[in-house]
Amino acid sequence: MAYEQVKVETPLLLRILPVASILLFFGMWQGLVDFKIVPNTMLASPTQVMELFWEKLFVTDPDGALLSTHAWISIQEAFAGFFLSLLVGIPLGLLMGWFTVAEGLARPIFELIRPIPPVAWIPLTIFWFGIGIPGKVFIIWLSGIVPCVINSYVGVRMTNPTLIQMARTYGATDWGIFTKICIPSALPMVFGAMTISQAYCWTTLVGAEYLAADQGLGYLITMGRRLAMPSMVVLGMICVGLTGVAIGIIIEKVEKRLLAGIRR
Amino acid sequence: METNHEDKIVCRNISKIFIQKGTQRVHVLDDISVNVKRNEFLVILGPGQSGKSTLLRIIAGLETPTTGEISLDGKEIEGPGADRGLVFQSYMLFPWKTVMGNVELGPKLRGIGKKERREIASHYIDLVGLKNFENHYPHQLSGGMKQRVGIARAYANNPELMLLDEPFGQLDAQTRYFMEKETARIWETERRTVLFVTNNIEEAIYLGDRIISLKGKLPGRMHQSYQVDLPRPREHLDMKFLELRHQITEASDLTL
Amino acid sequence: MADATATIANEVQCAVRERRPFSIAATLKNKWFLYAVSITAFFGIWKYVDYTQVLGNGIAPPEAVVVQIFRLTGDTIAGKSLWGHIWASTYRVLIGFAIASAIAVPLGIIMALNRYVNAIVKPVFDLLKPMPPFAWISCAILWFGIDEPSKIFIIVVGTFVPCLLNSYMGIRLIEPQLYDVIRMLGGTRRDEILQVGFPAAFPAIFAGLQISVSIAWTCVLSAELVSARSGLGFIIIQGMQLSKPALVLAGMVVLAFVAWATTLLITGLEKILCPWKREAVVA
Repeated sequence: MAYEQVKVETPLLLRILPVASILLFFGMWQGLVDFKIVPNTMLASPTQVMELFWEKLFVTDPDGALLSTHAWISIQEAFAGFFLSLLVGIPLGLLMGWFTVAEGLARPIFELIRPIPPVAWIPLTIFWFGIGIPGKVFIIWLSGIVPCVINSYVGVRMTNPTLIQMARTYGATDWGIFTKICIPSALPMVFGAMTISQAYCWTTLVGAEYLAADQGLGYLITMGRRLAMPSMVVLGMICVGLTGVAIGIIIEKVEKRLLAGIRR
Repeated sequence: METNHEDKIVCRNISKIFIQKGTQRVHVLDDISVNVKRNEFLVILGPGQSGKSTLLRIIAGLETPTTGEISLDGKEIEGPGADRGLVFQSYMLFPWKTVMGNVELGPKLRGIGKKERREIASHYIDLVGLKNFENHYPHQLSGGMKQRVGIARAYANNPELMLLDEPFGQLDAQTRYFMEKETARIWETERRTVLFVTNNIEEAIYLGDRIISLKGKLPGRMHQSYQVDLPRPREHLDMKFLELRHQITEASDLTL
Repeated sequence: MADATATIANEVQCAVRERRPFSIAATLKNKWFLYAVSITAFFGIWKYVDYTQVLGNGIAPPEAVVVQIFRLTGDTIAGKSLWGHIWASTYRVLIGFAIASAIAVPLGIIMALNRYVNAIVKPVFDLLKPMPPFAWISCAILWFGIDEPSKIFIIVVGTFVPCLLNSYMGIRLIEPQLYDVIRMLGGTRRDEILQVGFPAAFPAIFAGLQISVSIAWTCVLSAELVSARSGLGFIIIQGMQLSKPALVLAGMVVLAFVAWATTLLITGLEKILCPWKREAVVA
């Protein structure tokens, strides 16, 4: 007899394993420190990190600022660079996609700059802007601009040629087609760029803060190393990760809201 | 189960219910009983959404029926196997293999040596009319050619039963007529038991020895059975052809 | 049988080139002309900025950079010539990349094929994924000191994520009916994996490798900027410490070139190993 096995629920094992895995991970981590397998100068246990986290919410020692101050500064820098890169990158990419003149002029410069990792600009920006926020924003801007331009460009290039031909039969001008057909058609790709760009910006931020900062989450991590406080290092890392995820989720929600009316 | 030794496939009271999204039940087939005779070209005809592809997949062994039994040569079908060959509607060729690579895959999986399986594959590539295209990749072929590779691939494994799931659905009308002729020719050259699924009445009459029509709208139920006694090769504009076409059209939900 | 060959002929494509009369307007709109204008303008502005010292000492004229590069091939910095430094950085990238992909690619494939492995590994992976590679630098230095292992560790961490994700998605996105084909031909589960899984996922795996390589260069650079005695990042830092923008720029230019060359290598490798057509992946 051939009867259908109706599997409506995932097996119990599959549901337990993820939880068990995470618990095992933290357990091993704690164990490595508690049982002195790894010296405390190299690694801090989860409990130590939690303690420091609690402390840093209220105390400015030993690095000079509260945790929230650091986080806020980092977020500000990242967003500044991010918005600026959207502001410049998206229109540039859109224009490049449609107007040969724009592409001809902008593309070589873009392709020259593109292979250089944003972090490589740090020494130059220190020359130009000194150590401080403008320099960091500049580097974040550089890293965020690349996906914006590429995605906007591709978005415009992928416009349905039939729509363009149809517009021409109605006698639309180049500029008219650009604003009324290409840009709306490219919007899904453009919004996709927002998420990617934000991710790049956040990643570069940490690098930028490494070399030139006196506040911020990246600075916190560096200080942790200088003070030989691995708990601070790990705390900084976790905060960077969590904040990055949080920002990512926010941007994704914004993207969904903006795309609500447009079907992909 | 009483089976005539002439019967290749026996399906009794097959029904199939899919569980979707955890709780939704979709009743796809209801109480289907079909006997397929040896070397018969049986066509299952039905409009879209009548469960005919599901029936084919059940016979292929890729799905299990919720109730009912199927047997091949008296033995119950328990899963897919080399004794049945399936030709897919969307070709499903491996893009990283050449035509030869695709066709010889069946024998390769069964452990047949290189020289021998090359010969087998060449024979069938020739049979479907693709003699000089052994080293082409699928993306270099047109739709009709891709489907012919699919047919050759199924044939090369020497199955006892050939299953074709609306194989010409994605082709344009011209190519479709051409492929119908080719299919009839190939089948006459190397006879097998064939189960052919389609929604096209003309195709059904042109190719089949017998046509079983399913009623439209889920769940699919058996509707009528027609014996096609026209001599081959058949003519689309033959009087008897047209009469049968009229008969089927009247009886079914299919529009011409 | 002769009809068979006819069907492909319908799709002959012709390349048509129009001969347009020569005109100023047409030249101004010509892509190559504009590229040339753009590059000239770029170097022109660069030279001008240096000339007017707008950025003060912070920039060197293009010629100085070129001279610097040539000098580096002859002279040495910290005991190595330019080639030595290029090799130092490339070596780190290659080792880190090799280690990461050797672990990440098989792991991604296994995770996609086996639900239990997936349930064990994925939660931990998702936990560690959001942390940018740079964030690990301090950790690496704490654990491994400032020598080679810490740099290679960063590269491994940075390249691990895209490699694993792309291999994983590569297997997950395979059309399920392709597995049906194998089963209908009499294949076993092992056949399904070997005959369908690997080849079908290949393009995605390569896409992951490409992304990983560019990330690897960023990682090696940041690791070298923080603490190094050799490598292209070291050259750049030297330039900064010695207040020699020409050196900084020289390092950047060489770096861009080498990174571009490695990407080209991977793309070339892909063309050889995957001769069949695939969908374009937009970064």
